[in-house]
Amino acid sequence: MKIGSIFNDVIKSFFSAPVTEKYPFEKPETAVRFRGKLSFDPSKCTGCNLCSKDCPANAIEIVIIDRAAKRFVARYNMDRCVYCAQCIQSCKFKCLDMPNDDWELAALNKDSFAVNYGKDEDIASFMERFAVSKAEPVQEG
Amino acid sequence: MTTETLLQRAGELLAPFAKGANNPETNRLDVQIAASDLPTAASALMNASWGYLAAITGMDLGTEANELEALYHFCEGAAVTTLRIHLPREGCPEIPSISDQIPAASFFERELGEMLGVTVVGTPDPTRLFLPDDWPVGIYPMRQDFKQEQAAAVEPDKTPERGWAGNKFIVPIGPQHPALKEPGHFEFSVDGEIITGARMRLGYVHRGIEKATEARNWIQNLYLLERICGICSHTHTSAYSQGVEKLAQVEVPERALAIRELVAGLERIHSHLLWLGVAAHEAGFDTLFMYSWRDRETVMNLLEELTGNRVNYSICVLGGVKHDIGAQHSVSIHKALDYLEERIRYYLDVATTDSGFLQRTRGIGMMSLEEAKRFGTLGPVARASGVKRDVRLDAPYGAYKRYPVSIITDDRGDMEARFVVRMKELLVTCFTIRTIVDNMPGGGIVTRFPRKIPAGETVSRVEAPRGEAFYYIKSGGGESPTRLKIRTPSICNWTSVLNKAVGHQLADVPMLIAGMDPCFSCNDRMVTVRRKSDSNTMTWSELREYGIKKYGPRK
Repeated sequence: MKIGSIFNDVIKSFFSAPVTEKYPFEKPETAVRFRGKLSFDPSKCTGCNLCSKDCPANAIEIVIIDRAAKRFVARYNMDRCVYCAQCIQSCKFKCLDMPNDDWELAALNKDSFAVNYGKDEDIASFMERFAVSKAEPVQEG
Repeated sequence: MTTETLLQRAGELLAPFAKGANNPETNRLDVQIAASDLPTAASALMNASWGYLAAITGMDLGTEANELEALYHFCEGAAVTTLRIHLPREGCPEIPSISDQIPAASFFERELGEMLGVTVVGTPDPTRLFLPDDWPVGIYPMRQDFKQEQAAAVEPDKTPERGWAGNKFIVPIGPQHPALKEPGHFEFSVDGEIITGARMRLGYVHRGIEKATEARNWIQNLYLLERICGICSHTHTSAYSQGVEKLAQVEVPERALAIRELVAGLERIHSHLLWLGVAAHEAGFDTLFMYSWRDRETVMNLLEELTGNRVNYSICVLGGVKHDIGAQHSVSIHKALDYLEERIRYYLDVATTDSGFLQRTRGIGMMSLEEAKRFGTLGPVARASGVKRDVRLDAPYGAYKRYPVSIITDDRGDMEARFVVRMKELLVTCFTIRTIVDNMPGGGIVTRFPRKIPAGETVSRVEAPRGEAFYYIKSGGGESPTRLKIRTPSICNWTSVLNKAVGHQLADVPMLIAGMDPCFSCNDRMVTVRRKSDSNTMTWSELREYGIKKYGPRK
C-alpha cells in the first residue's frame, strides 16, 4: 500500500498544456466520417422515397413534382434528424450525403430548421402549392 | 458440456411437467408447462444448477387467440431453455411467483404484473416498478388493444406505499440523488448507520421503447434501440441486428462481423474508463475521476474517426456495417491503444495500491460465488466474485469465434476485485482489438437485406460492458416486429446490490451502487404519459402548504 500513488501524475500534469479546445475562437476539425447537415442532389433522385420510409425520425420527405423531368424537392427537418445516415445507406442512387464540415447548426429560431432542397423553380412551385393548402409554415433554407 | 447435452439435460429435468416440447433453434429448447407447475419446474432447474433466469417475456397474443403468454428464459452456456406458459386473457390471469427460488425474478414479476396485467401470486413486492404512480389502474400498456389515450394521468387513489410499516427509520435517496447522474429512487431502512433493508423504484427515464418498436419498421428500430443507452449503444444495435439477421437467415460478411467486434471492444474501453471515473468520484477520489475521463477522450476520438460519432455510432446496419476499416485507421487504432494500455496499467496500479482509495474498496460489498450465482449477477460484478460467465465465451457470437477473448475472474468478490477485473478486462480487450486490426478478413462489409422478415422468434445474446444483454425478437412476417423484449444487465444486478447493502454503513451505499455500474436508461424503457397540463408554479410557502395537505400534518 502506498499513500498518494497518483501524485506522480498530478505533478506531470502541472507542466503539460491544457487540453481544452478554444471553440468558438478556434474551430476544431471534425472527423472525415462525421455526419453533418444533410445535402441532396435532385438530378440523381428517382423519387422512390426509401429514405423517408427508413428514416427513424420522420425527418426527410421527397416531394415529386415531375418524376420524368427529375423535378424533386427534398423536405428536410433538421431538428428532427438524428444524424444516423440510414437515408444515405438506403439510397441506391447516392443523391444524399452528410458532409462533415457543416455542423454548426444551432439557431435561435426553429423556422430555419425546415429546409427544402431542389432546383429553385421546383421549390417555388412546391411552395405555391403548399401555400394554397396552408398546412404549416415552411421556410426556404 | 456441449449445448446438445445441456439441452438434453434440461429436457430430462423438465419432462415431468412438460405438456409439449420442441427445439425452435439448435441452441434452444421450448417447453410448454402449466402455470401451477412453474415453481416446481424452476426449482428443478435451479437445484440441478442448470443456468440462471435471463428474463421473463410477457406477450399478448391478441384478442383472436384470446391468450397471454409468459416466457421464462433460462440460459446456461450457449443453451437457452424457455418455459412457455399460456394464460387466459380475460378475467384475472394468475401465475405463481418464483422469487423464493430465484430472487432476481422479483423485478421481472413486477414488470409482468404492471405491463400485462398478470397477477403474480406470492411475489414479495407487487408495487409498480416502471410505470408512474399516476398511471390509471387496470390499464396495461403491453396489451395489444392498449391505446395512447388510455394513458391519461389520474390522481392516485392513495399515497403510494413508501417504506414499510412499523417502527423503522427510513432514509430515502433519490430520484434526484447525489450519487449518480441518473434518476432512481432507493429506500434504506437503517439502524443507526447500519442498513437493515433496501428497496427501489425505477421508471423515471421510462420511454416506452419496447412498445414503440412495434410501430416502426425493422430498419427504424435499429436507431431507436441504439438510443436505449448512451454508453453501450453499439451493444443494442449489434444484439438487435444479430437477432434479426438470424430470423431473416441472412449471412453477414466476415469482415462486417470483425468490424462489429472491434467497435464493441472500443466501446468496452470507453464504458469501463467512464465507470472508473464515476466510481472514483463516488469514493471521493476526484483526481482519478478527472484523469480517467481525460484519457477516455482518446478512445472517444478514435470512435468518432471510425464511425462518425462519439456515442451513437450507427455503424451497424441490418446485414453488415456502414464503414470499412482501412490502413490509415489501423495506424491510429494502434497509436491510441499504445497510450491507453499504458494508462490502464497505471490505473490498475493506483486502484490496487493507493491506501486512501483501498479503504473505500477493500472488503466492501463482499459477494461470495454462491451469492453471485443465486442473485443472477452478470458481467464484471459476477466475474469479480469468481463466476465464469461471459456470453463472448459461453456462446461465441459474431466474430468472437474467430477472435476469442480470454475471461478475467477474481475470487475476492469485493469492490477492489471489481476494479481489478474491469481494468484487466480492458487490457485483454486492447489485445483483441490489435489482433482484429492486424488480421482483418477480406470481402464486403454489407449484404442485401429483405424489408420483410419471415415469421418466427429468436433469442439474441450479446456481452455488453456491464454484462449480458438479452433480446427476444418475434416476427409476424411483416415489416415490423410483433414483440421485442430487451433485458439489460443492470436489472439483473440490482438484486445483488439491494441484498448486499444490508449490514453495510449508509456511507458505503454510493460505492455499492456505483460498483455494479448501473445504467438506469437501460432499465427503463416502456411507456410515456402525456398530461394536458403538468406545469405548475408554486412559491415556497404554497409548496409547503401543498405538502402538508397532501401528506397530512406531522404526527
